[in-house]
Amino acid sequence: MVEVRLEPRGKEITFTKLNTVLQLLNKLELRHTDVLVIRDGELLTQDCRIEKDDKIIVRNVMSVG
Amino acid sequence: MKCKVCKKKAVVSLPSHNAAFCPECYDKFYMKQVSEGIRKRKLLERDDKILVALSGGKDSLSLMYALAELGYNVTGLHIDLGIPNSSEKARSVIEDFCSEHGFKLIVSEMEKEGLPMPLVKKHIRRPICSVCGKVKRHYFNKVALEHDFTALATGHNLDDEVARLFANTLRWDQSYLSDQGPLLPAENGFAKKVKPLFRLTEFENANFAFLKGIPYHHLPCPYSGGASFTGHKMLWRDLEFKSPGTKRAFYEGFLDRGAPAFAAFHEKKGVEVVPCTECGCPTSAGVCGVCRIKSQLNEALEEEK
Ligand SMILES: [Zn+2]
Ligand SMILES: [Zn+2]
Repeated sequence: MVEVRLEPRGKEITFTKLNTVLQLLNKLELRHTDVLVIRDGELLTQDCRIEKDDKIIVRNVMSVG
Repeated sequence: MKCKVCKKKAVVSLPSHNAAFCPECYDKFYMKQVSEGIRKRKLLERDDKILVALSGGKDSLSLMYALAELGYNVTGLHIDLGIPNSSEKARSVIEDFCSEHGFKLIVSEMEKEGLPMPLVKKHIRRPICSVCGKVKRHYFNKVALEHDFTALATGHNLDDEVARLFANTLRWDQSYLSDQGPLLPAENGFAKKVKPLFRLTEFENANFAFLKGIPYHHLPCPYSGGASFTGHKMLWRDLEFKSPGTKRAFYEGFLDRGAPAFAAFHEKKGVEVVPCTECGCPTSAGVCGVCRIKSQLNEALEEEK
């Protein structure tokens, strides 16, 4: 299970299988410049592979309000 | 993906620059965008004494960090709006950031000024965001003048600037189009205003803050209704995705070719600016807008008693 946490809302979603960051972004209907994608405190580019037990943070960069 | 410069593993990819960078090369790229923007548009002099408006978000904190890194004399200014929960969080993020980096910080408390936002929201019958913006601009300028700062810097980014320019263009608002840009020179008792991050997008600032380990707050203002982005920002997101670099070209094209034309066309009317009879801040009326809000609020509170 890949665990994905969406910030700043704090919503958590899981995926059974993901291959790459790009695939994750597509599933979330996000463009890569909308968010930071973070794993273990490091930033991931769209082509990075996602492993089956990864915990990933997807942080929106748009200023709200 | 590999870093365009050194071929190490990239962590940030930027379609608008047709590039990807490792952390070290991204830092160089970012700092160069800030310093070249300042140099090309003549935003700051080496000896400027700069007051940096800090909201606690990624843009303002990155701005403070970058200006200090470039060797400028910077002091932070935070306006504590007195909104329960929200204001304390923003303020502590800023206080921690400034003490960690040894930055000077001035905090202006709206509670003490007799303008806490919860009461303003309750009693002043005008859109809270516009009143709040007015109050913030008033105190930025007031503090800048009282402490002899020569420049006031804000963290407005390319996305903010493009959204505003686009809205002004849709209305062909000559007055706004004539003085929009990253530099407003000092005049009529107002300090010089600069936006040194005008070449950097929200995405680029967020990456910088992350890589520099700058904790920022990303909570929406509880009064804004949490609308995440406007229709215009959405349009630009799609345009930029289809042809990367459009945002930058639109904005810089305006600065080079549009702004001078509007500035020449729009002869500024000689509005006389005098010190406010209450607080001494420059105003075209006898009593400035913020002092008027203050007295309206006091009247409402008196009536309530
Ligand atoms: Zn590199
Ligand atoms: Zn006044």
